[in-house]
Amino acid sequence: MAEIEIRNLGIDYRKPNSDELFAAVDNVNLSVGEGEFVSIVGSSGCGKSTLLLSVAGLVKITRGSITIGGKTVTGPGPDRAVVFQDASLLPWRTVLGNVRFGLEMQRWTGGDLTKQAMSMIKLVGLARFADYYPHQLSGGMRQRVNIARALAVDPEVLLMDEPFGALDAQTREIMGGELLRIWESDKKTALFVTHDIDEAIFLSDKIVVMGRNPGHVKEVITVDLPRPRTPEILDSERFTEFRRRLRAHLAADMAGMHFMEEAA
Amino acid sequence: MAMVATSARDTGKTGTAKAWRPARSTIVSIVSVAVFFILWQVAPDLGWVNGRFTSQPSQVFLAAIEVLLNDDFFYHARISLTEFFLGFALALVVSIPLGVLLGTSQTARYLIDPPLMALYIAPTLVLLPILVVWLGIGMASKVAVVFLGALFPIVVNTMAGMREADPKLIRAARSFGASRLDVFVRILVPGSLPSILTGIRLAVGRAVLGVVVGELFVSQAGIGYQLNTYGSAMRIDRLLVYALVVSAFGYTLTVLVRALEGRVRTWRPE
Amino acid sequence: MMMDIFMRRQALILGTLSLVTIVVLWQLVVDFGIVNPFFISTPGAVWQEFLVQLNDGSLLTNILATLYSFALALGLAVAVGIGLGMLSGWFQDVEAALEPFIWFKYSAPTVAFYPLFIAWLGYGTPTIVAIAFLFALTPIYANTLSGIKNVDRDLKRAAISFGARPYDIFFRVALPGSVPVIVAGLRLGVGRALTGVVVAELFGANAGLGYSIAYYAQMLQTNRMMVPIVAVILLGVILTQALSYVEKKTDAWRVTHDN
Repeated sequence: MAEIEIRNLGIDYRKPNSDELFAAVDNVNLSVGEGEFVSIVGSSGCGKSTLLLSVAGLVKITRGSITIGGKTVTGPGPDRAVVFQDASLLPWRTVLGNVRFGLEMQRWTGGDLTKQAMSMIKLVGLARFADYYPHQLSGGMRQRVNIARALAVDPEVLLMDEPFGALDAQTREIMGGELLRIWESDKKTALFVTHDIDEAIFLSDKIVVMGRNPGHVKEVITVDLPRPRTPEILDSERFTEFRRRLRAHLAADMAGMHFMEEAA
Repeated sequence: MAMVATSARDTGKTGTAKAWRPARSTIVSIVSVAVFFILWQVAPDLGWVNGRFTSQPSQVFLAAIEVLLNDDFFYHARISLTEFFLGFALALVVSIPLGVLLGTSQTARYLIDPPLMALYIAPTLVLLPILVVWLGIGMASKVAVVFLGALFPIVVNTMAGMREADPKLIRAARSFGASRLDVFVRILVPGSLPSILTGIRLAVGRAVLGVVVGELFVSQAGIGYQLNTYGSAMRIDRLLVYALVVSAFGYTLTVLVRALEGRVRTWRPE
Repeated sequence: MMMDIFMRRQALILGTLSLVTIVVLWQLVVDFGIVNPFFISTPGAVWQEFLVQLNDGSLLTNILATLYSFALALGLAVAVGIGLGMLSGWFQDVEAALEPFIWFKYSAPTVAFYPLFIAWLGYGTPTIVAIAFLFALTPIYANTLSGIKNVDRDLKRAAISFGARPYDIFFRVALPGSVPVIVAGLRLGVGRALTGVVVAELFGANAGLGYSIAYYAQMLQTNRMMVPIVAVILLGVILTQALSYVEKKTDAWRVTHDN
């Protein structure tokens, strides 16, 4: 059975300063198997972040349902953890304090908090920086902390909302490799939102392409590139083929055309 | 961007009724003020407090009518207003050029900054007694106190506004061949206007305070004089009328300057 | 770096120079008979008088009396201002209920109600403390309110994603995040509390710097009056600078994230 099961999902927002509703996401069906790494791509405004946050239990569902391991999502839970964009670390806490934060919130009972946090900090390669404050770290390092904080609570599902969106291209590539290395250590089910096509192909088992007005799933592409993956794969012919297919999708969406491409 | 249902505040507002209904906070505010007035009105009647010390809204209302009709109210108000506007006008005339000078010349800033900051931070009202010694107990000493109170906030904020000007804008203007005067008129002045108005708004508060403190300290006429008179005569109702007049004056001016500030600031991001 | 040191030194030199110039000019205008020393005294005479008031203990007594009222008023303002500010920042209804009164307090010069406090509390410390308390309350309350209310949405969302309860969000996110704003409110409150104490002492007290300024003013003794005036100004600068220092310390983590 699938780990994440999304059925006929619809999410309505109220337009600012009016009572009118509009659908940010509609009619989304999606299954993610246990241990799968799934990316969601799409142009801005396609509701990919909304979809992810609804799985996190941070956005109210209007229609349909989401289940995690058979349990219906009604709010945030210890079975999921979210890696956010840059600004979500507590600036007044050290790296260690920030990684402990999630454990504290969950009233973690699985042993020593600091020990658990430290092992995650080691995993993301920041052992030397445990006493640093976020403003003393680079953007890439801050996102390592963010990942460590999410992994520390040992969730079944890891949700990532454009975690590298604020990083420069080079750091971004390095972080992608790092994320893959960390993820491969215990292969948690992962849902990853990005607008970077290469990043999505490099990381994922499956890529969900979303379109706009309202946000919907256009296609799910299976990326059957072998693992473990190394940066060399970026130049391979098969990688280029995936890139071409995704580009075609996104370009069509940009032009406002809604056609379903059923490529081989 | 995602809307997050994070607290009870976000929930409980459903339906698509188009009819205007007051926001919950407005209702709470109105109820709160109403409760205050009702308590104030009935507490003395029920013997909870001594009405001689608290008066009552109804009494204050009647006293307000009396004061406006026959208490030389306009005579005293005119004196206080004259002190206020004279002092404030003087402060404007001195402070804005001074602020511009300090904002554009570093040497001037280093020279004048220490005493200026000391007087901006320290309570200038302590100079009141010496101003009375110099200028007497008449209007002059109050004008001086208002002047001193209003001066420093405007100087400091004008200076800050001038210095806040974006060096990139200045560089861009220079690259198009703008002269120093051009830069001043087209970049520094519009750029610092919001800041100057903030200074003026702060100055209004300090200036009103100056008039009242000056007149309370020693005077022969003015709103503060009346406050003193009715205070020592234990006429709490009339005392409150005068205190409320001062408050209303300060409030109105502050709101006006704030509105102006809002208009000037509209093109600016937060 | 070198430039920076040079600039700072230049600021220091010119600043000192300006203070020295003021003192010298002050002495000269009197020595050359331009201004009657009765009005402005002279630095020399003020120094003499400073030594006198220091030795007979009256200066210290007055400073302590002022600081005593100041501490009481500030303590009360901190307790009430931060307490109410936290309630208002967290519960919208409390904010709405208090808002009209706070608006009134913003625009009304508290001193206008001074005679009312005299009627209630009599001349002396209680009235002085009450006035200074009201002076200091507004910025402390307003800053605490805005700090708690404007809790960072991203941080709040991250906390909720880990299952934080409202209690956690208040104590672990909103409150620590508000510390710099609250301290900035305290800095403003310190200056206003001192103003409140001194102004109230001008009107009626039996000790304190404000009292001694008013007392010597009535005696028309400018020399003596200058000592407590300078003392108040220095006190204001020292207290505010101390709070600015604390503010910088607590604000250290607030360096902008730029990338």
